[in-house]
Parts: sequence; structure tokens; C-alpha cells
Amino acid sequence: MAWTWFHKLASPPHVYRVAGRLTPWLAWPAALLIGAGLIGGLVLAPPDYQQGDGYRILYVHAPSAWMSLMVYTTMAVAAAIGLIWRMKVAHAVAASCAPIGASFTFAALVTGSLWGAPMWGTYWQWDPRLTSELILLFLYLGYMGLRSAFEEVQRADRVSAVLAIVGVVNVPIIHYSVIWWNSLHQAPSVMRLGEPTMPLPMLVPLLMMLLGFTLFFGALLLVRLRGEVLSRERAASWISAAVRP
Amino acid sequence: MSAFLDMGGYAAYVWPAYAVTLAVIALNIVWARRLLKRSRKDALQRLAIGGSDQ
Repeated sequence: MAWTWFHKLASPPHVYRVAGRLTPWLAWPAALLIGAGLIGGLVLAPPDYQQGDGYRILYVHAPSAWMSLMVYTTMAVAAAIGLIWRMKVAHAVAASCAPIGASFTFAALVTGSLWGAPMWGTYWQWDPRLTSELILLFLYLGYMGLRSAFEEVQRADRVSAVLAIVGVVNVPIIHYSVIWWNSLHQAPSVMRLGEPTMPLPMLVPLLMMLLGFTLFFGALLLVRLRGEVLSRERAASWISAAVRP
Repeated sequence: MSAFLDMGGYAAYVWPAYAVTLAVIALNIVWARRLLKRSRKDALQRLAIGGSDQ
């Protein structure tokens, strides 16, 4: 049957083993890309003609904001798969996403606020983009709080999945907020149709950071997923083989 | 070097932004590894308690 690969992919021992083997292949390229992106963004990229060196916050702000949305989308898709096909591993993926996404949403908010202070003259404004990003942080925290309210993992999985799926409407709202409403925040300069609006020496370090953060998310997800899979398996005999040193 | 650290007068905003982001990256590594380590330990404990019938 064509579905056998799907079941193998979703079997906990297989996931545990493959995730372990795959982690360094994501972690090391992520470290290299983020390292190179930091040097590129802080040293090699030219200052902005309007914002001088202040714009360099871009190289940590945009990747953090990208993470906040990409991780949430991953979480919602995994939660939906878990809910629809009753797939334990998918629920474990969703649960693994939340703390990662929450922490990078926090980073996006703080770095944005530190960028706004000198450029807009304010650390915070109840602006559509900023407000919807703050709601995203609350969605992550609500998801984590809801999970921890249940003793039984299966119930926590199902109930929190509904919140994750409903909350996904906030993702396009965040992305398009700067287009739909008047916002202090600028419109996208990379994640848009057509050419990016940045010269190459500025753009290349940004793309390295975006890719580096994405791979870093992959590595983190795999490590967390292994932990989640282990803690969900109660009496499985494979655990003894997998865990014993 | 001091010109680099000064960040064109934006040092008070640029460096904290980088510090927060790098701290989030470092914490995520610590948290993820701690979760896996704890799950391993718990799994071993369950096996020890469960005994030979598992």
C-alpha cells in the first residue's frame, strides 16, 4: 500500500532514530549561516542611507519575526494532522513548536521595540502589526498553558490542537496588517511578490539569517520531538533499546 | 573598533537587540537539550519500575 511509508514515518521508534540522526545536519549549517549572517549584517553590510547603523537591528528582528509566524504555521498544521488522522507524532510536533515560537515572538517584539524607539520615537504603539504580533505571543502562551492544564497527554493534545488551529487566522492578519491598515511598520521588503527592495550586500546577510534561523528551528524541533515522543511512550519495548547507553 | 561598538550612535538599541536574540537562541538550545535529557531519564526510570513484564 502507498500508505505504509506514512505509517513508518509516523512510528515513534522511527521518528526517534531519524530525528537523532538528522539533528546535526540541520544544527551545523544553522550555526554557520547565523555566524556568517551576523558578521555580514554587523560588519560587511553598508549603513542605511536614512537609518545609518540603526537599521542593523533588521538582521535579528526580521528572522525572529519570520520564526514567530513560520513556527506557528507549522504548529497549526501539525495540530490539524494530529486531530484529523489521530497521529500521536503530529501532536508531539505541535507541542514541541510552542516554546520555540513563543521565545522568538518575544525576541521579535523586543527587537522591534528597540528599533522603534530611535526611528519612530516610541518603544510601543497600539499599531495593527505590533498588536497582532503581541496577540501571537498570547496565543503561544495560551496554547502552552492549556496543555499544562491537562493531566492526560491525549486530552491536552486534542484540546490544544483546536486552539492552535483557530489561532492560525492571526498569521495572515500579522503578515497583511501593514498593507490592510495604516501602520507605522514598513511593508515587507523581502517576503513580497517581485524583487526585494534592498541592495545585495544588505540582502545577502538577511537571507543567510532567515535560512539559518529556519534550520535552527528544524534542529530544535527534532531534539524536542525526541523528548516528546519518549515521554508519550509508556510501555513500549523500543524505548529500552533507544535509551540505554 | 570603538566606531563599530558605537554603531553610528545607535549602540543603545542595536546591541541590546542582538543580545536578546542571541540569548533566546542560547536558551532554546539549553531548554531543548534539557527536555530530551529529562525524558530519557524518566523513560529509564519507568523501565526500571515496570520491570520485566514490559
